[in-house]
Amino acid sequence: MRYRFLLLALLVVALVVVPPFLGLGWQYTLVNALIAALFAAAFNLLMGQGGMLSFGHAAYYGLGAFGVLHVMQLIEYGDSRFPTVLLPLVGGLIGLVSGLLAGFFAARRSGVYFALVTLALAQLLYSLAPHWSGMFGGEAGLSSMRMPSLGLDFGSNLQVYYLTLAWTLVCISLLYAYTLTPFGRLTQALRDNEQRVRFMGYNAHATKVLVFGISAMFAGIAGGLTAIANETANYQIFNSHVSAQVVLHTFIGGSALFFGPIIGAAVITVFTFVVSGVTHSWMLYLGALFVLVMLFAPNGIGGVIQAHVQRRDSLPWRRLVAPYAVATGALVLVALGTVFIVQSLEIVFSEQYRAAVARTGQYADYSLFGMKWALFSPLTWLTPLLPLVAGLLLLRRTAARIRELWAGGGDPSACPPKVPGATLRSRA
Amino acid sequence: MEFLIVSTMNGVIYGMLLFMVSAGLTLIFGMMGVLNFAHASFYMLGAYFAYTLSGLFNFWVGLIVAPLLVGLIGVLVERYMLRRIHRFGHAHELLLTFGLAFIFEELVKLFYGNYPVNYRMPDSLNFAAFNVFGADYPFYRIFIGLIAVAMFALLLILLTRTRIGLVVRGAERLPQMAQALGHNVPLVFMGVFGTGAALAGLGGAVAGAFFPTNPNMALELGVIVFVVVVVGGLGSLAGSLIASVLIGVFSSFAVGLHWTLAGALSWVGLGGWAEGVGGLLTLPLSSISGTVPFLLMLIVLLVRPAGLMGSKN
Repeated sequence: MRYRFLLLALLVVALVVVPPFLGLGWQYTLVNALIAALFAAAFNLLMGQGGMLSFGHAAYYGLGAFGVLHVMQLIEYGDSRFPTVLLPLVGGLIGLVSGLLAGFFAARRSGVYFALVTLALAQLLYSLAPHWSGMFGGEAGLSSMRMPSLGLDFGSNLQVYYLTLAWTLVCISLLYAYTLTPFGRLTQALRDNEQRVRFMGYNAHATKVLVFGISAMFAGIAGGLTAIANETANYQIFNSHVSAQVVLHTFIGGSALFFGPIIGAAVITVFTFVVSGVTHSWMLYLGALFVLVMLFAPNGIGGVIQAHVQRRDSLPWRRLVAPYAVATGALVLVALGTVFIVQSLEIVFSEQYRAAVARTGQYADYSLFGMKWALFSPLTWLTPLLPLVAGLLLLRRTAARIRELWAGGGDPSACPPKVPGATLRSRA
Repeated sequence: MEFLIVSTMNGVIYGMLLFMVSAGLTLIFGMMGVLNFAHASFYMLGAYFAYTLSGLFNFWVGLIVAPLLVGLIGVLVERYMLRRIHRFGHAHELLLTFGLAFIFEELVKLFYGNYPVNYRMPDSLNFAAFNVFGADYPFYRIFIGLIAVAMFALLLILLTRTRIGLVVRGAERLPQMAQALGHNVPLVFMGVFGTGAALAGLGGAVAGAFFPTNPNMALELGVIVFVVVVVGGLGSLAGSLIASVLIGVFSSFAVGLHWTLAGALSWVGLGGWAEGVGGLLTLPLSSISGTVPFLLMLIVLLVRPAGLMGSKN
């Protein structure tokens, strides 16, 4: 517990101290990472704590953003003296109201039907927004300027960063505090056994609506922060890709843990920034990572870490070192092989390359990782395939060995922890 | 009159296309309880495979082989992915298909680029079927409708008149009982998933030659197909046929109608007030035609989640 506190304090200090020394691009990325982290935390309140899977959280995120932009426009034209630093509150309020409203309907259904209601609501907004210019500014969307407030002019990225950091820290702390309250416990009980909650005399529907509202409120704050950072938003903020992103972030990070989605979202956003400059296929890597996590670590990467922490006293660490090292090496081999193949395909199937083939009539060598590769040379394809196959075989063998060592502890807690959401039923 | 007839024909045929894709989705849901988010991706893969095959061989090879390839992918997905995580519950299966939809879209972008490809019908099919009000009506639209009708008939016969259909329906209603009677239920599931994927692939292979074939087609059709299966009743084949045609006809009519809520309110004397309020009240139906299906889906989900034809549960 003390270690965790120390780790968090270190992280916060780093988030405060480091950014002034970073370039503009990195500062902007960190702003996005913080917003994504808050959005994921808000989403996970509903999914991880409440066991309700929403496929339309972009709706509340986007509504928060548009609400903030409307107020920003009022400030810009001098019709309002609302302080810029408190703008995310507007997003939160709009998120709360719209979330309570949507939640009232959505929470009447459970499981897949719940997910479909949230999906339909978000799609409704997405298809309506471009045509409703008074509210959402048509296809172009709304734009505004950040106005100075409290002696800060918000002209620099750094000031926006600190504003976002402050809001994100406060909100995530509030969300964490929420899980410790009796109502937070009730939320978890709702996830684990709704019927029992009802038998105990609680109003399950009202509780769900409230949880939905609170989750949407924090999503709205995240949306408001995006609006402040970008000074613009259009109907694409309601796109199902936005809802999809937060689902990906949450489950890769691990929805069973409070900090899983937060770290997942932050790391993936930064990873995206680094990788998207190098390759167009980063979404493919992200999707593949998501599917692999779903297949092999249903509790997410956070869940894997949690399982280790829980069993730290009973695991034969000394004997695990070697297989873990081998597995890591094998994973690196597989990753390298896959990246080589995907990047080769990206080059060979690119428009430029195909146009060049059509023009010159021959398949030119392409360069990757600082070397030239001939397209039809066996060497080109053996280079990635050998490490890929070797890595997979190695992984298979060490995985069996690791499983053996884990089971060898004879500890009953060795079985995987309960999966949240596994109780989601398919029929309403 | 011209608008009425042409719109109805276009709508019915678009509805038949929707049915080709939603049939598999609703079958899979009814049987396995899995809402397959990757289903529209199978439709897209069908179009792209058919495009490649029609370039290498000819259109007809693409039309026949592409659905088979897509069906094979469906079988592999069921056998090696869904079955693996079945024990974690439906939520995980749904999330997995959601991730797969993501991957399929990105793979298509990787191999074919992020722009529409030039997948066209052969010249032998590119002629006017007949003439309505001075405009040629393309034969290919009718071709799409014919294939859908043939598919529906085949599916219906297969499910209701053959022994395979009997086992499939048995496995759907009472999987454990079917298993106890000696039927290989996992194999049935795999077969249904593969068939559903192949049907969606066939839809893509047929429709891709007429409508644009681009990496967004899965997402665009996917949400509408969800509307169809929900409105028709998840798990009901007949329901999804009715809902498909309903939504197809509606979408084709809505783009030509400029009704507004203000117009409707003027019948009760509130027209002037509504014009003054503006906003939602003065948006013409033609510009919000994309919204209405979702409204319909919401109403069905909230009022009668079993849909038009679904069994009450």
